Amino acid sequence: MSETKIGIHDLYKVFGPDPMTALKAVRHDGLSKPELLEKCGHVLGLENINVDAKGGEITVIMGLSGSGKSTLIRHVNRLIDPTVGKIIFEGRDILSCAPAELRRIRREQMSMVFQKFALLPHKTVAENAALALEVRGVDRDTYLRNAENWLDRVGLQGYGNSYPHQLSGGMQQRVGIARALTSNADVMLMDEAYSALDPLIRTDMQDLLLELQQELQKTILFITHDLDEALKLADHLVILKDGRVVQQDEPQKILLEPGDPYIVDFVSDINRARVLRVRTVMDKTVVTDGINIAGEIDQEENLETVIAMAEGDTRKTYLVKDGERKVGVLRMDMLVKSLVPAQSSDTKTRAR
Amino acid sequence: MGPYEPIFSTLGLQSWCESGETTANGPTSMADLLAQNAGTDVPSPSVWELPFPSMDELHESCATFPQSRALTKGIEEGFLSVKDGLSLVLDPITQPLSWFLEGALWLFETAPWWIMIPVLLALTLAVSRSQKLVVFVGACLLTLSFIDYYSFATQTLAVIFVCAILCVVLGVPIGIAMARNDRLQRMIIPILDMLQTLPAFVYLIPLIFLFSVTEPKLYGIAIILYAIVPVVRLTDLGIRLVDKDVIEAADAFGMTGRQKLIKVQIPLALPNIMAGVNQTIMMSLSMVVIASLVSAPGLGVLVLRGIRNLELGVGLVSGLSIVVLAVILDRTTKLALARINAGQDR
Repeated sequence: MSETKIGIHDLYKVFGPDPMTALKAVRHDGLSKPELLEKCGHVLGLENINVDAKGGEITVIMGLSGSGKSTLIRHVNRLIDPTVGKIIFEGRDILSCAPAELRRIRREQMSMVFQKFALLPHKTVAENAALALEVRGVDRDTYLRNAENWLDRVGLQGYGNSYPHQLSGGMQQRVGIARALTSNADVMLMDEAYSALDPLIRTDMQDLLLELQQELQKTILFITHDLDEALKLADHLVILKDGRVVQQDEPQKILLEPGDPYIVDFVSDINRARVLRVRTVMDKTVVTDGINIAGEIDQEENLETVIAMAEGDTRKTYLVKDGERKVGVLRMDMLVKSLVPAQSSDTKTRAR
Repeated sequence: MGPYEPIFSTLGLQSWCESGETTANGPTSMADLLAQNAGTDVPSPSVWELPFPSMDELHESCATFPQSRALTKGIEEGFLSVKDGLSLVLDPITQPLSWFLEGALWLFETAPWWIMIPVLLALTLAVSRSQKLVVFVGACLLTLSFIDYYSFATQTLAVIFVCAILCVVLGVPIGIAMARNDRLQRMIIPILDMLQTLPAFVYLIPLIFLFSVTEPKLYGIAIILYAIVPVVRLTDLGIRLVDKDVIEAADAFGMTGRQKLIKVQIPLALPNIMAGVNQTIMMSLSMVVIASLVSAPGLGVLVLRGIRNLELGVGLVSGLSIVVLAVILDRTTKLALARINAGQDR
């Protein structure tokens, strides 16, 4: 397991004229978000957030609008200052950084992709992509060459001299991603980067991100309100509701053991077969005597693939392998059971 | 004795009032004279005719109470007493304006027409990039020259060039400062409102007292004060209207305040700033006509002559020449504006 790159500890954000007093009411009297708004006229943006984003992983923060997810991601590069709390980046508290040091971090170590693209309309695509380098004071030839490289990688060969308004939304967001990549920062903050795109393009862009990530191993904080997207991208999934973390875990675990009725509602209409992986539903036994094995599968395969392989036959059993090692067996009838959403076992979950 | 006398006596101010009666040597008004001539004591009026207790009415009842004309006189005396100190400071500061105006007028008048007109056309082409407009401007300038209005028109243009450039040089930084500082904006907006609503003639009155009428800066200041408002306002507005998301992106990539201003805010506010420049030029044109009252040269002088001597033809033709200049300036700047807008269409 890789180490924590960005640690968010005990973070609170209260919006209003006197946040410290309002914060006391939250911490000591346990006021909830609506109560605080009614009694003190302050908005509780984030409440006691503790999230660790590990290096080289995609941490997805998911929540509906108003859940504070965009506020949260803006704390990481301090576009918003918290009321109280700590944000540890590579062992250092971002909040105690002097302005010059903060600017250096933003220029060299963190990049950001925005929901509304936020490209500069008066600059060409290449100049936009090169923004971080230009700000750093790199000379024009170098930064344009760099930008062209990354534009190629995101599939925008030959668009360097166009202007943003000449491109479609999906292409503009590719420029946004190229801009983040050109900065060559370890950390990429993606604020609802794909929410403004239509579904097909969104899938393309998700695949692009996963493909790039496999090679680049950046630490990505990804904000979304779309659970499908979250489950597809996340190594670590954080679910936010009304400024609080409701649950955070590996995506499959959240799907199998939703810890909150809110999440149960959320995951009920998800294509579980696409998210769940063989290793989470298999029997961890290597004793295969007397079982009729229909074939071998890798433990990281998702269930959709297995169902296709078995052609829907629930009587088959597969041998699960991790590389060359046998790790368990997967019975198709067990697999089908795991696809039943938690909603039907509602009473059980809600009772917990 | 006025109707308000009982009030003064109940307040115990009778002796104060009477002390004024003997020493009162205030100016005599027309009404006073009429009353003296009528010679009869008016019977005390009924409550229906009770006048508003204005300064003059109260003066009727109490001689020590000042008349309203004392107010205007006081302001005048106050202004005159600070005038010397004020011009001591303002004179050197505004002196360059005189030089610029004199220089521009000299340049526009001494340059022969066969250089001046092509230069103006080249300028039009450079700003608007439209050959159609150049043809139009050329036709207008040649017509004006043909009817012997060339020198008047170029004088007006010279004054407008100097004043509009100075308005931009001063106004854009003020607008930027306003956009970045809310308190400054709150302080400057009432001043801008006042400059915009104050009747154009009113600018001239205090300026005549401050500066000599023979100096060009007198009308220069009047024009700049009048015309600077739109460019300040629209610069402020333009910078405030810059897309918040783009500003956030600039911050997220670590731009300094200055980088943000030069690389993001000013370029994105440029359409608005240019709209302000267009307005500023149009307003300087309207003021340069009025400023002919205080010796501003140009077509305004002819308009004034038309009014003063009732020369209908001169007045109309010079008025129409001003319209032609206005159209030329407006079209040219509007095309430049359209070009910028097209450049950053979203």
